[in-house]
Amino acid sequence: MTGNVIQIGPYQLILALVFILVAGGASLYHGLRLEKDLLVGTIRTFAQLFLLGYVLKFVFQLDSVWPVLAVFLFMIVFAVRIIRSRIKEKQVAFFWPMLISMTISYAVAAIMITGVVIGAEPWWKPQYFIPLSGMLIGNSMNAVAISLDRLLSDLKKRRQEVEMMLSLGADYGEAAKDMVRNAMRAGMIPAINSMMAVGVVFIPGMMTGQILAGADPLQAIRYQIVVMVMLVGSTALLSFLGVHIVCRLCFSPAQQLLLRPKKK
Amino acid sequence: MAKLKMDKTNIIDFSGVTFGFPEQATLFTNLSLSIQKGAFYLIKGPSGAGKTTFLRLINRLEEPVSGIIRFKGKPLDAYPPPQLRHSLLLIQQTPTVVDGSVEENLLLPFSFKNNSHLKRPRQEKIERLLAEIHLQDVRMNDHAMTLSVGQIQRLCLVRGLLLSPEILLLDEPTSALDRESAFAVTTLLERLNVESGLTVLAVTHKKQDRGNVTYRGLEVHHGHVEECP
Repeated sequence: MTGNVIQIGPYQLILALVFILVAGGASLYHGLRLEKDLLVGTIRTFAQLFLLGYVLKFVFQLDSVWPVLAVFLFMIVFAVRIIRSRIKEKQVAFFWPMLISMTISYAVAAIMITGVVIGAEPWWKPQYFIPLSGMLIGNSMNAVAISLDRLLSDLKKRRQEVEMMLSLGADYGEAAKDMVRNAMRAGMIPAINSMMAVGVVFIPGMMTGQILAGADPLQAIRYQIVVMVMLVGSTALLSFLGVHIVCRLCFSPAQQLLLRPKKK
Repeated sequence: MAKLKMDKTNIIDFSGVTFGFPEQATLFTNLSLSIQKGAFYLIKGPSGAGKTTFLRLINRLEEPVSGIIRFKGKPLDAYPPPQLRHSLLLIQQTPTVVDGSVEENLLLPFSFKNNSHLKRPRQEKIERLLAEIHLQDVRMNDHAMTLSVGQIQRLCLVRGLLLSPEILLLDEPTSALDRESAFAVTTLLERLNVESGLTVLAVTHKKQDRGNVTYRGLEVHHGHVEECP
């Protein structure tokens, strides 16, 4: 496969930076003040991806389960941290419950895909397990962040309604049912939309990468279908778990809503 | 002996209750008082004094920092919260309905699993209550959100009464009502107080000077709640 691939050398990499110069020029022309962010973003892209490349090469060479699992756990910890930072509401501490539930569900999903669906031997074979886990975590992380942000802002906004139901004898699950439903829906819609548009509106990154690397398009499609289905499933599972866990954390054992309006 | 006799007539007891919101000054300090069974209390006090919070402490939407609140002699935490709350029923100042018909809103509490043992009210009872507070023209299949604020406020009162609470905690129950509707609501509450012995605690700025009921006053100010004439 590598025999067909056109190698990208340093010259081509530098040439690709022309696009960044164009973006920088547009920013200067319109006074967007994004030049610094563009510069930092470009440097980070180079640094992070080169670092990832070397780490992956190292892990592939080690050919042992532990470094693979360490990379897997590292990705999940960062995903939970990113979710935490994206959510404006800070009154509920959900880092540890989310980390545990995400680790369990990602582990189940990733092992299912690599070990059962693809049939990699062993199931943790780094070249399958790490990129597929990365896609799984990266995509459902967005969904979980959207879901949780929606849940927390809705619970706060609709506090009157929640407390009205609690006052009439509802438990927290009944009082927050509508908000839980809306949050899950908000998290899942992007994944479902991308299933609708895939292959028609866009060619997904993974498939593009495989085709560029010389793979048979029909083979690349099969991988892509597995990935898409896996993403929708894991997004649903993670949204469900995340929303339910965080919803529980928003209420005290005495079924009192703990999210309070901010005192000005 | 005298104390025992007095305890029997109390339905709610505050003993050394202190409460404050997180990162804010303490609202109530060492609050001790009793609410008499079957009495009709009017709660007064300046804005921000803690009148609403006082009601929320009784139905346990808020938890004291220290001290104990008892309902019929037992601490509030001896009761499962949903069961406690439909007995000590709070009707919020901002009347709130869910997206659905008038009927769905009235019967909403009966859809909760903790209320499944409660008998659904008969149609005649609902109609009688609605008529008593001038809501006879509202149809069961009307969308609740299309009603006026005043109608919604009365609908919320009826929804609460259908649960047959032991104590009714009302936060400004007539704030959105015209004089006639407010009069009808007051008359209904007085009737239930006299006929069924319903204990009522109502936060209000309006003066009640009608003769059917002997009102008791509670004044909330400077971290205290005291009986007043």
